[in-house]
Amino acid sequence: MSPGLVALLMFGTLIALIVLRVPVSFALGLACLPVLLVDGRLTPFLMLHAMFKSYNSFILLAVPFFVLAANLMNSAGITERLIALARSAVGHLPGGLAHVNVVVSMLFAGISGSSTAEAAGIGSLMIPAMKKQGYDASFSVALTACASVLGVIIPPSILMIVWGGLMSVSIGGLFLAGVVPGVAIGLVLMGTVHVFAKRRGYPVYVRSTGAEFWRALRRALLALITPVIIVGGIVGGWFTPTEASVVAVVYAAFLGVFVYRTIKPHGVSEVLYDSARLASISLFCIGTAAAFGWLLAYYRVPQAVVGAMTGLSTGVISTGFLVAGAFLFVGCFIDAIPAIMIVGTMLMPLAKNAGMHPIHFAIIGVISLAFGLVTPPYGLCLMIASTIGQIKLVQALRDVGFILIPMLLLLTLVILFPEIVLWLPRLIAPKFL
Amino acid sequence: MTAPPAPPLQRLLDAYDRLLRRSLTVLMGLMIVPIGMQILSRYFRFIPRYIWTEEIARFCFVWIIMIGSMIAVRDRTHFDVDLLPAPKTARGRGLAGLIVHGAMAILGLVFVWSGCEFAASGARQTSEMSGLNLLTIYVAFPVAGLTWLAFLLEKLAADARLFASKEPEPTA
Repeated sequence: MSPGLVALLMFGTLIALIVLRVPVSFALGLACLPVLLVDGRLTPFLMLHAMFKSYNSFILLAVPFFVLAANLMNSAGITERLIALARSAVGHLPGGLAHVNVVVSMLFAGISGSSTAEAAGIGSLMIPAMKKQGYDASFSVALTACASVLGVIIPPSILMIVWGGLMSVSIGGLFLAGVVPGVAIGLVLMGTVHVFAKRRGYPVYVRSTGAEFWRALRRALLALITPVIIVGGIVGGWFTPTEASVVAVVYAAFLGVFVYRTIKPHGVSEVLYDSARLASISLFCIGTAAAFGWLLAYYRVPQAVVGAMTGLSTGVISTGFLVAGAFLFVGCFIDAIPAIMIVGTMLMPLAKNAGMHPIHFAIIGVISLAFGLVTPPYGLCLMIASTIGQIKLVQALRDVGFILIPMLLLLTLVILFPEIVLWLPRLIAPKFL
Repeated sequence: MTAPPAPPLQRLLDAYDRLLRRSLTVLMGLMIVPIGMQILSRYFRFIPRYIWTEEIARFCFVWIIMIGSMIAVRDRTHFDVDLLPAPKTARGRGLAGLIVHGAMAILGLVFVWSGCEFAASGARQTSEMSGLNLLTIYVAFPVAGLTWLAFLLEKLAADARLFASKEPEPTA
């Protein structure tokens, strides 16, 4: 079969099944079947083999652990401490609580590598609080969802770990590269909040005194050094990214059980179960996505795509926009990790041809996919936030659109100026480049 | 109002579901141990360095994913995309359920059929580091397929009842 026919058959089946509301993970597996059954050289056995190979990876082990670490932080009350700190720092700005939401998301992102855990953890505290203070439910939900995407942009990040493992890019380098764009997106969000707050007359807090700020800082300090331990440990070569995720788990459990004494033993088993459940649903999808990607590669579909597109884009910038566009589109329909496995590996040779730096390519991909977490129909963070806010997803869409526009402009800047991404790794750890 | 007592088959599936949940919790906790040891052994002499730590963690991981996929079939938490409007009538919802669960059951059949072959190929191999027979890991695939089918049949039966129902839909 020709690459074009295979691609048509596989993507056609996939889209048809997804439209019929078959779960994405199952649809990916089912979409492999027609080709596997038609081609006499192949059997479904190979699909299971490709799935097993993708699961049998030490790198992916970091996914459940980072989700677990974030959930431990939530049940240890660390999120509340971060909120108190953010409130004493930015609560007096117009739309105080909304600013607090953004700052907490940035702080939490430095601890957690998962945006969904972030949307659930921060959303369950901030959305009810914002609604109580008179913020529109749609704005509270939209802002929480948009701010939670920082979870995978500011290190540590599950997406960067998967990307680095899959395409042999230094994960330490990716982590450092995510810092500047992540903080910049946070600042852009705060600017958007300012505009919303002025136009809709959202409330402010009384400015905290210096003493109050220091007290809040001291209460949150032990949690705040987590990113230093994780990123520092990886960059310094103390442990691998997967090991770092376990260090994050142990540290969060230590804080919750022994220092703050907020986690009870029976609470631990609940957190273990919830984390394993959430992680395994997206991990299962990684397996079927890996099989799907493997089958595409077997028929040389990626090469065909590259061949068709080399005429289209030759420069770094045009390729950057192409990469961002592809991931933004795909991110609307499937989860970020399978998108990396299928589309990322497909675009990699294209980016290489154009002379794009692998870290630049990765960060454009990760940011675009992170934005996909709030775009319907498949925007996990938006789904989680609107469930917490008890509104229909559609009701939040208008505000999501407004908040996303400046974020997309920032993505454009990242594409145009690779130095935004490459500056920090070059400064701290040039060996990663 | 109290729910009528569950039929024995459903009670059996409930018990199996609970077993799966408990196994998932235990495996997740267990997985921390070998990796923790791996890090500590690098910095503390008195902790032995085993080469099998990483491999055991990976094998726990495969089981966690497959068990998680089974539980998510029962409580319908595998993510789907709602592009089409939700059907308004009971018949429509029954039909939609039959299509979705039927399609999922096809993959379940493939997992059982090819999974047995896969598990058999595992039985002929041992793992590189811990010397474990790979059947213990590979068998997770046919087990997942069988479990999905059991849970899906339960759902398909409910869908069929819904599809066959004649009474008008109560307004929500």
